[in-house]
Amino acid sequence: MIFSLILGFLLLIIGLYGMLTQKNLIKIVIGFSIVDTGTHIIIVSIGYLSGKTAPILDSTVDLANAAKQVVDPIPSALVLTAIVIGLAVTALMLSFVIKLYQKNKSLSIDDYQELKW
Amino acid sequence: MVNPIYILTLSLAAGFLLTLIDKSGRKLSLTVFYGILSLNVFIIGEWFYRLTFLNTPTVIINTAGFSAPLSINLQLGMQEAFVLLFANLTALLSAVYLFKKFKETHISGLILYLIMIVGVNGLVMTRDLFNMFVFSEILSISTYALITLTETKKSLSAGFKYMIAGGIASTFFLLGVTFIYYFTGNLNLDFIHLGNFSNLGFISIFLLAIAVFIELKPFPANGWALDVYEAVDSGIVSVIAVVNSAAIFFVFYKIMPILPQNFLNVFGIAGVITFFFSNLMGLKQKNAKRLLGYSSIGQIGLLVASLIFTMHLPRSLMYLIVGGFFFNHLIAKAGLFWITGIVKKENLKDWNVLKNNKPLLVLFGILLFALAGFPPFAGFWAKWEFVKMLVHGKMFFVVGTILLGSLFEVIFLFRWFTLSIKGDEKTEHKNISLELSKMFPTTIFAGITILISVLIMKFFYDFNWLHALPVLAVLIINVIDFLPSKIKGILSLAAVLTYGYLIYPLESNIQLFFGIIFIIGSAINIIGTLNRKGKSEGFYGLLLMMIFSFGNLLVAITYLEFFLSWEFMTISSFLLILRGKKAQKASMLYLIFSTAGAYLMMVGFSLAPDLVSNSVLILSISNVSLPIAATILLSIGFMIKSGSLGVHIWLPEAHAEAESDVSPFISAILLKAGVFGLLMVGISYIKHTPSFDIFYWIGWIGVLTAIVGAFLASFQEDAKRLLAYSSMSQVGYIVASIAILSHLGWLSAMYLSFNHMMFKSALFIAIAGVYYRTHTRTMYEMGGLIKKMPLSFISVLIMIIAVSGVPPLSGFGAKWLIYSSFIEKGWYLQAGVLFFASGVSFLYLYRIIHTIFLGQLKYEHQNVKEAPIWFIIPQYIFIIGIMAISMFPNLIIQPLNSIAMRYFNSSIIIDGYTISSSLGYWNGNLVMYVTMGVFVVPLIFLMLFNGRMQKVKQFNIVYAAERPESPQTTHVAHNMYAHYRKALGGWGKPRIWDFWHEVSEWSHSLADSIRQLYTGNGQTYILHIIMYVIVIYFISGV
Repeated sequence: MIFSLILGFLLLIIGLYGMLTQKNLIKIVIGFSIVDTGTHIIIVSIGYLSGKTAPILDSTVDLANAAKQVVDPIPSALVLTAIVIGLAVTALMLSFVIKLYQKNKSLSIDDYQELKW
Repeated sequence: MVNPIYILTLSLAAGFLLTLIDKSGRKLSLTVFYGILSLNVFIIGEWFYRLTFLNTPTVIINTAGFSAPLSINLQLGMQEAFVLLFANLTALLSAVYLFKKFKETHISGLILYLIMIVGVNGLVMTRDLFNMFVFSEILSISTYALITLTETKKSLSAGFKYMIAGGIASTFFLLGVTFIYYFTGNLNLDFIHLGNFSNLGFISIFLLAIAVFIELKPFPANGWALDVYEAVDSGIVSVIAVVNSAAIFFVFYKIMPILPQNFLNVFGIAGVITFFFSNLMGLKQKNAKRLLGYSSIGQIGLLVASLIFTMHLPRSLMYLIVGGFFFNHLIAKAGLFWITGIVKKENLKDWNVLKNNKPLLVLFGILLFALAGFPPFAGFWAKWEFVKMLVHGKMFFVVGTILLGSLFEVIFLFRWFTLSIKGDEKTEHKNISLELSKMFPTTIFAGITILISVLIMKFFYDFNWLHALPVLAVLIINVIDFLPSKIKGILSLAAVLTYGYLIYPLESNIQLFFGIIFIIGSAINIIGTLNRKGKSEGFYGLLLMMIFSFGNLLVAITYLEFFLSWEFMTISSFLLILRGKKAQKASMLYLIFSTAGAYLMMVGFSLAPDLVSNSVLILSISNVSLPIAATILLSIGFMIKSGSLGVHIWLPEAHAEAESDVSPFISAILLKAGVFGLLMVGISYIKHTPSFDIFYWIGWIGVLTAIVGAFLASFQEDAKRLLAYSSMSQVGYIVASIAILSHLGWLSAMYLSFNHMMFKSALFIAIAGVYYRTHTRTMYEMGGLIKKMPLSFISVLIMIIAVSGVPPLSGFGAKWLIYSSFIEKGWYLQAGVLFFASGVSFLYLYRIIHTIFLGQLKYEHQNVKEAPIWFIIPQYIFIIGIMAISMFPNLIIQPLNSIAMRYFNSSIIIDGYTISSSLGYWNGNLVMYVTMGVFVVPLIFLMLFNGRMQKVKQFNIVYAAERPESPQTTHVAHNMYAHYRKALGGWGKPRIWDFWHEVSEWSHSLADSIRQLYTGNGQTYILHIIMYVIVIYFISGV
């Protein structure tokens, strides 16, 4: 769990670094996507408990002690939603990038700063 | 009653179905679209009514057949219903505003809009943290997509910045939610308590809170929001700035109970800082929508701060403050953003197209005044109560920051307003097209703004109806604005007299005395306005508003009533001044100083102990012991209004640039409101003298005002500026005499006030007449008008005798009283300076009569006629008044004696026509006869023995073969007292003007350097956000 948690945070930071340093709009979106993935890994790793079984109440799980034998299913449920949302946001970002490129033939974020102050 | 879950499901279902429906025509899909939006408003409206008025218990809706925390639950209580009603109504009206767009755009626009509403409604109702994340993402994604309704480079790049900033914020949110679940095993707000958290666990709450807070656009992590406000279509921006902000603000409100107090304090302060800096930066803004963006961000900061700082207050008060700010800001902001979409001008200077568009201008004005927090709008009450609460909590730093921020906001909003009315930028004046779909929502919101004000005034405060009269006057006159101005003038005169009759049974003589100045003085001055031609639209409404506010000052019982009338007075006089031809700068200056003064007074009144009796304020204040700070703040506030030295620079501008028949009101009457206020402070002060003698210093300020004003008046070329500085000087005498705090001092202060009211009205009206005929205020361009305008000349002659204080007229009595009181007090030096100032005042008095009426008649004034009768009548009424009190001083001394005796032991004896003080006696009647004798004897002598007089005509003068370019400037009347000015040397420099100018320059350059933060680069904005999170993390000491 700790390992995946660290991995998640590492990805998150790599993604942020990418968003902050890359000038190319698409790379920024990729950076965001990495941040998103990092977050998802963090979420999943929180629910994971080593040595526990899947949260399905069948013959292998003793009903009375189910809570102690299975991993927490809620983070997994949450992460599914989060992945879907992340996908939508990323897709929308990319479509913005496409529109921007169509209008101005540039993918550099430095070319989009006339709005300021 | 419909289950509130339908407002989610209906919109969602309709959203999916719209693609199909649209196949059978846009008409049908639009019908469904607007139908659903209206239905939402209706359902929520009904719930709001039930929850608020029928005390229906809060509704909890469990989903999936389980109760929380096993399932997600939604909650609809009064607060939720309030926010939802507001958000849905705004969304509906915004959709109406966007009608044209929705008719043409792809159907996805409509779908996105509905989905966005689902996001808002869900976000407000849900109690589940993860569900909150989902709804906020629904809201964000649909908003991002809606931005592309207008595909310009700007809107797209702003949208992209918005997305990455929003993406980062929601990542923090998600992490926060996850870790909260990790530490508490729960996602439901109702089951999460602060106690559940370990120290490490606080980080999770921090992440959640900061994510929400960043969505509320704190300074400086808010550059992305500004870009969105600037670039996106007005209809969508109003949704983003209002509907979304309202929902996110409510989310913050919902998570507040699980936030530890130290977080909340940090957020509260961060809100105040945001308010301050965004308003400061707004000063430099020239783009209308970005300006609104700055204001918007600031107001949200204030809203958050008000929420955090008022948590402990009683519910009703908290609702007034937070609800007031909430409503006021969001409604005004939506309306103003809509108006930017109607006017379609980016640069503030181009907004003068509004000049010719009255309906839009009125809407713009209402919303702008509301946004700036002027009465009677909700923001005013909220600000008053909020400041009072902060002052009671001794949070002075917060109060100062908020009020300074508000002042900046007033400055940039009203610069915009005055530019719209008076801007002289030449632009193509295409008429603005007023589409119904765009005007309708704006009008509705302006209407709601007014409605809320009425509700607050009626139900929260339960004011006497008199206090609504100033506003009613404006409304009524607006209804009959089609009438010619003479009829409205006469009606106004009747209204003022009726008003005087209504308030007449006054509790005390001091009210009666000021009532005569305020009401009777105004009534006589109204006669002068009857000379107006045409319709003078709006003029009489504002005039009545101002006069009624004067009167209401007298009958105000609480601090708030007094302050309300004071603000009404400021607004109306500001708008009246703004009517002058070139009054844009002058009115701004007046407004800035007045507002600053008003804020000082607001703090002063908040510091004052509660009133104990139900009498009018001017009486009950004597039982109140004002703390030193309150005395100082109130005094400064009142002295700003009376134009004391240091804060006088608004005065000459405003007096000179106002229309010539408005100037007498401003100068002769408005300044007395400041005098009245200062007397009020004095009344409390004499009964409870604190250790530090404040009035000694006020006395010096008064004395210096008198002398500086007199000098400045002498150096003016413009007749109205001369009179304005003269007013400053005269009011300086009054302030100084009040500061003596003795019977004789107050007697002379009131005597001079009365006198000044009469002679300054008459002088300003006389100059109005001269201006009306000659079309110039520059004195050296006139001359010799004595032949053409003898009646005006006589009036000016009598009045300057009255001002100067030479016998026999009333001014002599005033001066005698003043010097006596100063000497009696032992203020010899001050008396000396005042005596010198009187000498200087001869300079300007001589100048005004000499350069205008004596000497050579200018060629272009050959055919000038006497001033119109409407100007002559009030002058002669005042002459009669001056003559009466000069002949029979008892008429006025007697009542004033009794007023002053209420506060001090009498120090004079009145015996017949003789008034004796410890220093001597004055018999006005006798003086009159003696002087007349002294005058008449030489006159007869001259008439009998001076028959060989030769009159010098214009052509008798020889120019020594040279004809100067502009002959007037060679005349003595031009730059008349240049030698005195030279003699003053370094003292003649306009240091105070320079000082305020520097203050303005510095704040503007400060604003300009701070706003460089917003580089326009999306990555910088992300960096801001991350650094902001880190800084706040360390400050809140998690």
